[in-house]
Amino acid sequence: MQLRTDLTTRSERAAYLAEALAGLYSDQPTPSPIQGGRRAALRRLRAFDVRNYARARNQVNQRSVSMLSPYIRHGVLPLAEVRDSILSRFGLTPDTEKFVNELAWRAFWQLVYAHLGDRIHHDLEPAKQRARAARQPLPIAVIEAQTGLVCIDESLQELYTTGYMHNHARMWVAAYVQHWLGVDWREGAALFYRHLLDGDPASNSLSWQWVGSTFSHKPYIFNRQNVERFSNGEFCARCQLAAGGCPFDDSYEHLAQRLFGVSLAELEGRR
Amino acid sequence: MSGAVVWLHGDSLSPADPALLANPTAPAIFVFDEELLAAAQLSFKRLFFLYECALEAIAGRIGSIRRGIVVDELRAFAADHQALTVHTTASVAPRFQRYVAELRAAGLQVVVHEPPPFVVWHGEPPRRFSAFWRRVSAEALRPTGLGPELPAGQEMES
Repeated sequence: MQLRTDLTTRSERAAYLAEALAGLYSDQPTPSPIQGGRRAALRRLRAFDVRNYARARNQVNQRSVSMLSPYIRHGVLPLAEVRDSILSRFGLTPDTEKFVNELAWRAFWQLVYAHLGDRIHHDLEPAKQRARAARQPLPIAVIEAQTGLVCIDESLQELYTTGYMHNHARMWVAAYVQHWLGVDWREGAALFYRHLLDGDPASNSLSWQWVGSTFSHKPYIFNRQNVERFSNGEFCARCQLAAGGCPFDDSYEHLAQRLFGVSLAELEGRR
Repeated sequence: MSGAVVWLHGDSLSPADPALLANPTAPAIFVFDEELLAAAQLSFKRLFFLYECALEAIAGRIGSIRRGIVVDELRAFAADHQALTVHTTASVAPRFQRYVAELRAAGLQVVVHEPPPFVVWHGEPPRRFSAFWRRVSAEALRPTGLGPELPAGQEMES
């Protein structure tokens, strides 16, 4: 079936594509505010200021990140071109070095995918620690972004409405889904893959395995202090559970015990 | 029948795609993979993003965006343009390798172009990123050029 290529406005294209691709999607046919194509990619690349990246990149609400990942994932901007652009504009600094280091993660995931193929969708190593939470399918509350935890729900809501989620928020959600809720990583990865504009088999599955410790030496966990720090307290200020009942409000030592039944030293593989 | 067409796929969907740049006048095609997408049920946002990328990638040349069985659509497109050769850009996805093999089995010549390398790597990757970074960081932090140039007239906005 041949698709039209002559429509000019976004709304015309969206209305047309919604019909032309009927049956291939099951959500509302609303485009992301993030525009596809190389012109949009170059605009974003040129507008990106890497200064302060090393310090501020994990700030979930500040957006010190490039947001180039959808374009990199689809080859609209090759990694080499992004690297060259940033180094030529800003030189070699701690910020550009950290940024290129983050680009290298994608190169690494691609290399692993090239080597292992579809095996990346299965546990690559035994989990170093198993979460104590009983196994369960992905809860409806996660699918509907209604867990009651603002840090999780707003991150998921952004994913569902824009197709983007900040990397640090992805780590929170992936850890919460696996370690707190006891959901198999493949179910969480499938949810992300359906929605992320930068959804890539390698980056997605391998990142979930990194959080789960089937492709890393320890499970990734976080606590409320981490959420407060990297959201400037904004999520917790709006969260009804902040006054009591927040599942993340604990020390890492206690979380290691609660979630995995081991000491923090054991969780981190120090003994 | 001696012409060539360019196959654009989801891992290289750009007017600066190496296969496109190597064949500046060849017709180009992108196919929404019916089999893959019917099973995956990606969000509409993802599909629309691909559509916008594909529209821009084929702009200015004979181009086609289709929905269907990828290899069947590519064979039909090549036949429409009396082409025996399909140019495309490499992907590490196993599905891409299968499609290339099917095209070759169907009698088409497939030329696979390499995207510009971020770093050069040979052999098995290490199991941890830290080991990878230790080995590639010096090369990764050295610019290799300014990246691919767009065909004249396409790079419009700054």
